[in-house]
Amino acid sequence: MKPQEPIPHNYSMRGLNLIFALSSIGLLMATGLIVGYDYVRGWKWFQREFMRMQQERIESDLRAAQLETNKTQLADLDRRVRENEVDIARHRDQYVLAQKDLDRWEGEHYAADQDFRFAKARLDAQRYIAEASVVEKRSDGPRQLAEYKRQDRHFNDLVLRLQDVTRKRDAAKARVDVWLGKIKTEEDKRKELTASVDLLNKQLQTVQLTGPNLILNLPMLDFVNPTFKVDQVVLSDLFVDVNYMHVPRVDRCMTCHRAIDRPGFESKKEAARLTQELQQKLDSFQIAQEKRKDVEDRIAQLKRIEDAPQDTLNPWRTHPKLDLFVGSASPHPLLDFGCTACHRGQDRATEFGRAGHVPASPRMERRWASAVSTLLPGPWDYNKRHWAWEENPFNETPMYPRQYYEAGCIKCHSGQTWVDQGDEINKATSTVELYGCYACHKINNWRFTDLRRPGPDLNGIAEKTTPEWAFRWISEPHNFRSTTRMPSFFYQRNMIDPSVVPAPEREQNIRYQDAEIHSLVTYLFSKSSHRPWQPPAGAGDAGRGKQLVESVGCMACHIDSEWLKDEKSGQNRLARRDDYPLERNYGFNLTGVGTKTHAAWIYNWVKNPKNYYADAPMPSLRLTDQEAADVTAFLLTLQKPQFMTSTIRPPDPAAVHDLAKGYLVNTLSDRDAEAKLRAMPLHDQLVFLGQRSIEKYGCYSCHNIKGFEGLKPIGTELTVEGSKALHLFDFGFVHDYISAEDGKHEHIQDNVASWVYNKVRNPRIYDDKRTKTYGDKLKMPNFHLTQDEARRITMVVLGLTKDLVAPEKMAALDSRSRLMEEGRKRVSQHNCRGCHVVDGKGRAIASTIADTNFLPPDLSPEGSRAQSPWLFNFLKDPTVMKIRPWLNVRMPTFHFTDQETNTLVTFFAEEGKAAQFDTMRAMHLPAANVVIGKTVFDMLRCAQCHVMAPVDPENPPKPTVADTTSLAPNLTLAKLRLRHDWIADWIRRPNEMIPGTRMPTNFPRDAATGGFQSPLAMAIDTPQFAQYKSRLLPYFRGDEKELRRTMTDAVALTDYLRDYIWSIGINQMRAASPDGEVPTVLQPSTPATPAMPALKSGRLERVQAGRGGGR
Amino acid sequence: MTFIKDFINVLSASSISFLLLSSIFAFIVYFNLLDGQLRTKGGKLFLGLGIAFVLIGLFIRPLLYLGIAYLAIMFGLAHLGPRLWDRKVGKWLLIFMLAGFFVSMLDPNFFLIAAKPDNVPIGAMIFLLGIFTWIALRKAYLNDKQIAAGGIPWEKTETSEKLFVWPDLVYTEMLCMILLTIVMIVWSIVLRAPLEEAANPTSSPNPAKAPWYFLGLQEMLVYFDPWLAGVVLPTLIIVGLMAIPYIDTNPKGAGYYSFRERKWEIGIFLYGFLVLWSFLIITGTFLRGPNWNFFGPYEYWDPNKLVPLVNIDLSEFFWVSLFHMPPPRLWVIRELPGILLVVGYLSLPPLLATGPFRRFYLKMGATRYYVGAFLFLIMMALPIKMVLRWLFNLKYIVHIQEIFFNI
Repeated sequence: MKPQEPIPHNYSMRGLNLIFALSSIGLLMATGLIVGYDYVRGWKWFQREFMRMQQERIESDLRAAQLETNKTQLADLDRRVRENEVDIARHRDQYVLAQKDLDRWEGEHYAADQDFRFAKARLDAQRYIAEASVVEKRSDGPRQLAEYKRQDRHFNDLVLRLQDVTRKRDAAKARVDVWLGKIKTEEDKRKELTASVDLLNKQLQTVQLTGPNLILNLPMLDFVNPTFKVDQVVLSDLFVDVNYMHVPRVDRCMTCHRAIDRPGFESKKEAARLTQELQQKLDSFQIAQEKRKDVEDRIAQLKRIEDAPQDTLNPWRTHPKLDLFVGSASPHPLLDFGCTACHRGQDRATEFGRAGHVPASPRMERRWASAVSTLLPGPWDYNKRHWAWEENPFNETPMYPRQYYEAGCIKCHSGQTWVDQGDEINKATSTVELYGCYACHKINNWRFTDLRRPGPDLNGIAEKTTPEWAFRWISEPHNFRSTTRMPSFFYQRNMIDPSVVPAPEREQNIRYQDAEIHSLVTYLFSKSSHRPWQPPAGAGDAGRGKQLVESVGCMACHIDSEWLKDEKSGQNRLARRDDYPLERNYGFNLTGVGTKTHAAWIYNWVKNPKNYYADAPMPSLRLTDQEAADVTAFLLTLQKPQFMTSTIRPPDPAAVHDLAKGYLVNTLSDRDAEAKLRAMPLHDQLVFLGQRSIEKYGCYSCHNIKGFEGLKPIGTELTVEGSKALHLFDFGFVHDYISAEDGKHEHIQDNVASWVYNKVRNPRIYDDKRTKTYGDKLKMPNFHLTQDEARRITMVVLGLTKDLVAPEKMAALDSRSRLMEEGRKRVSQHNCRGCHVVDGKGRAIASTIADTNFLPPDLSPEGSRAQSPWLFNFLKDPTVMKIRPWLNVRMPTFHFTDQETNTLVTFFAEEGKAAQFDTMRAMHLPAANVVIGKTVFDMLRCAQCHVMAPVDPENPPKPTVADTTSLAPNLTLAKLRLRHDWIADWIRRPNEMIPGTRMPTNFPRDAATGGFQSPLAMAIDTPQFAQYKSRLLPYFRGDEKELRRTMTDAVALTDYLRDYIWSIGINQMRAASPDGEVPTVLQPSTPATPAMPALKSGRLERVQAGRGGGR
Repeated sequence: MTFIKDFINVLSASSISFLLLSSIFAFIVYFNLLDGQLRTKGGKLFLGLGIAFVLIGLFIRPLLYLGIAYLAIMFGLAHLGPRLWDRKVGKWLLIFMLAGFFVSMLDPNFFLIAAKPDNVPIGAMIFLLGIFTWIALRKAYLNDKQIAAGGIPWEKTETSEKLFVWPDLVYTEMLCMILLTIVMIVWSIVLRAPLEEAANPTSSPNPAKAPWYFLGLQEMLVYFDPWLAGVVLPTLIIVGLMAIPYIDTNPKGAGYYSFRERKWEIGIFLYGFLVLWSFLIITGTFLRGPNWNFFGPYEYWDPNKLVPLVNIDLSEFFWVSLFHMPPPRLWVIRELPGILLVVGYLSLPPLLATGPFRRFYLKMGATRYYVGAFLFLIMMALPIKMVLRWLFNLKYIVHIQEIFFNI
């Protein structure tokens, strides 16, 4: 055969082999890359770092513990163990003998037990065989039965033997245990002493990076049971909207934020704050006795953090408010609420960039953005405080930036008027309520519906002021009052700012704006009513008027000055709204009111605002004619003449024509519009334009204007604004601008929060660089908000989301809370907190009243304090009872409807967790109780301040106001007003109910036990009290021991006092007049009720029927 | 630099770039493969076209840019001549293209779109298409030269040689597999999946784009109704591709690269594949932005960009512009001009068969000729309609809304 010709290869085999070798190595490396890339995760590095931190912490604790553990004590124990061992060694023979004995008996026991078990099994089997042979009538039946009997006997022998052996073995064991026990007790003691160290050592093992943990976390091996793993919380009743469905949230934030629920990793700043807070609580005995040790330990821990050389950085910090959030004992535990329910963000993400972190400021954004992201995450990124952050336009729920954290409260707490401990969010919602954002922007949310119009009624404007004033006011309300809430609609940035609008357009805009203001004024004045108001009959005294305004309570809602001294610079400057508490911005600033209106109108307005406008929010202070005249005289002195000197340009007919035509051509042809306008005189054109301008600017949203009823508010609905996609916000072309409010440079970040913030601060900013026609320009008016106000409003807008929450997670959804919240809303709407403390907050008026004895009452305990029938009457008509007749400040008549009054009464009752109606009033008291009560009353010298003479509730005599120590309510009014149980409670702990009250604390708490102490316990035996003692003894059947015991019992004493006070109370007052103004006739008092059994242990037996039924 | 960017932005407007590409394509085919000269009749025609572009461009700015670019490329190609197929020139062309691409990456707007992970393969596609088309045409050119000199194509010279399956075939295949696997792994690690927001039935992304391989179809939807662009035309594309072996019975050029021997076949195919399919995909990927608006490669994809789009029907041209009268009520009369035009267009084959295309008719036979011509006409309907839309804002040639029939 011919040898085959060699066929040449197309490629060099050597070359191919080389390529193969190289590419194989390449493939191997690529595979390694897969594993490595999968292994190197950002969160792992965070966990590793946290483990290192924990290790450091435990090691330092360990060192401390080892130092702390009493070394001498340990040494002593060691010595005793050794002594025992020596002792055992000395008696070794006996011990060995005992042990040998035990070994022998153990062996015996095993053997006996084995025999016993075998025998038992055989016996059971034999029983079956015997039974079966008998039943089957087999011939060997009797034999089997006999065999069974024999085995049974054998079995019984074995049982006895086993019991015997067991007893002997136990005895032997006991002998050995005596020896062993000696060693064991010492060892147990030692273990106890070293328990904390052992625990720390155990913990150390779990966080150590070396050893077994290292192997568990190796790549490819870490599928078994790694210590680095993704942590998560599944929240089945908080949802993520994925458009097609709602899925439960799965929060993985704690994968990196490892310490979020572990105290001890606070930042230094937080640690300092917490230390102060806890120390204060500790010092004021707010912490229960058994928890004081824990708190002290915690303070020590926080102090260590403060002193540590390095500050803990995020993401390893502890949540700063563990008592409120995340902590397992807090109202929002981590396992139930997670993180993203409040903070938003991508719940399932485990990377910094994808989790939706949002920088709080442009500076932070620059820092995050400037760092270059690397392909492989690692410590090099973290050093830049950056973790592959990028602006992600596809993340629909980015986190709230730091300054808006509280926005997260709204989705669950939207049914509450104020949130417990939520200062920021409460301020934010109150700000929105105060400015009336809800009037132009529909917010379909319980908190922002069913509220009054924020602006005054304009249907009688001609009665109140002049067109000249109105023109200047609308042009720029801030020129008249720096604190006004009326926003500036005209001459704003997008109309006249030279840097934004070119000159020719500017001039046209000014002419147009002039024309629009003229048209508004013309319309309002031509449609206004002209009721004649009678001026005051006599001349008022401005001096007295000023006193009245400052004292009767006007200052709770009004501010009287536009100027104040700046605390920082010491210069006088124009006041801002946030210089005052929110409540005092409720009414307008009184400055310039004399320029704005005239005597007759003021006089009638302060007499009763409802005469002018039925829905006026201002209540009546029941001024007499003379008082009203005085107040009028004073208010007229508040002039602002320079405001009226600014020039008013007459309306340009061409501008009016252009603008009016602009509206007409929407429905008419150009020709018809021209014809129609030609037929109208300028005044009619202005009226027409005015009507259209009111529609354009939405004046009717805030003000009551006839003819505009039922029109929809003009603003964008904000109900779910916080969920609106970013691309639906029109950023225009602006990124940076100089704010006109404070001249600061502002940068608009590419997120919703920044957009909204800049929108409310500079509402026309997004028109910069836009080419728009006059009518298309942005119209939102400028409220001249400060940075804080703007931030708060933004917070609310961001919080209005469509995030779904299961009903059980919503706050205040139960019926009781609903009743309370309705009441709270009324409290907020009527500005009760201007004068009173409600729910622990309020009383803005306090700053204007020097003597705290003359302040309006603190209503925090009002629910458990006041009887509902009395409260109802008092709210309807405060003149039915004067509790503290010496007060200058007056409870106004609000002209509440029955329904409103009931809402408030219910609120107070529910807040005090008290039934609305009870039967205590009808109670008849045992005479003995009254006498004892009277004696105690005398002993405590209550009569020094309190008067007990029966009085007319409407006009009780005024005590000498100069002697403020005698100013206490007349106690005969108590029975009508106060709840029976509350009286005793109040006497025991007045300072706890109303901190700073003038009522002295007669029964101080014992710091050790927390119980009440009675001052009479010691006093009863002193000579000064001898007469009281003799007076009391008969009521204790002469038993001095019993008397002394009662005198130490604060609860019994206060109950006696209550009974006495109850006995002297008057029984009837006048009913409130339906319209709350005119007093009616007093009703005769009712006869006394039947007798009740005397009380025994100083505690009145409650009449149960009345409780719990008043809801 | 800005000028160059603006220049390219204007040139890449779909109408302009399409015209440019089509005419350059025709020019390359004519000049380099058919050995045309600028002085010949055809060459003068192309020259005239370029000058016409420039002249009209004096009034319509984009066309001026088109004319300049056209003339520059034409003179460049004429200068290169057959050297276009030199390896060296090819290498430099590739380097030039790559350099242009990577320099463009410095532009933030260009980078934003071109570096988007899901656009990267399409970017690679541009270069791969260019390279392989160039290689094929180069081989065809070399073979044609050899054949013209009386030789045989290069491929035929190696048909007698024999090679082992192993290692010559399988080994190299395995190497390719390994290398490609490495590329895919590294690629998947370096470029992360471009995840966007959760799908939402109430708000679609802007722009809403089809998968890349359907972007040509999506572009066709701009010019035709869905029943045409989405149903009839794709069906005909598939049918046409299946019919190719039955229509193209030219035995020449089998097994080796040649252009001269099958210039119509290759020309039509390349035009359909490169210009009417691949180019539309590239356009759809890189140049169609929010609201399906057109954006140059250096333009920012501004979702607020507004483009005037008032399109009118042929009937309106005919009745309103020409005769200044309202269109007749009866649609049969109103749409008569359009219907006649369409019928006229479709009856071109028999007309041409008697005239200029008689040669083909005789060579292919009636059935093949009519099927092929019909498919060709349908294919050419797309560029025709595109050009009509750009030049005259023509919406529909036949617009019968009464029976929802629009062409």
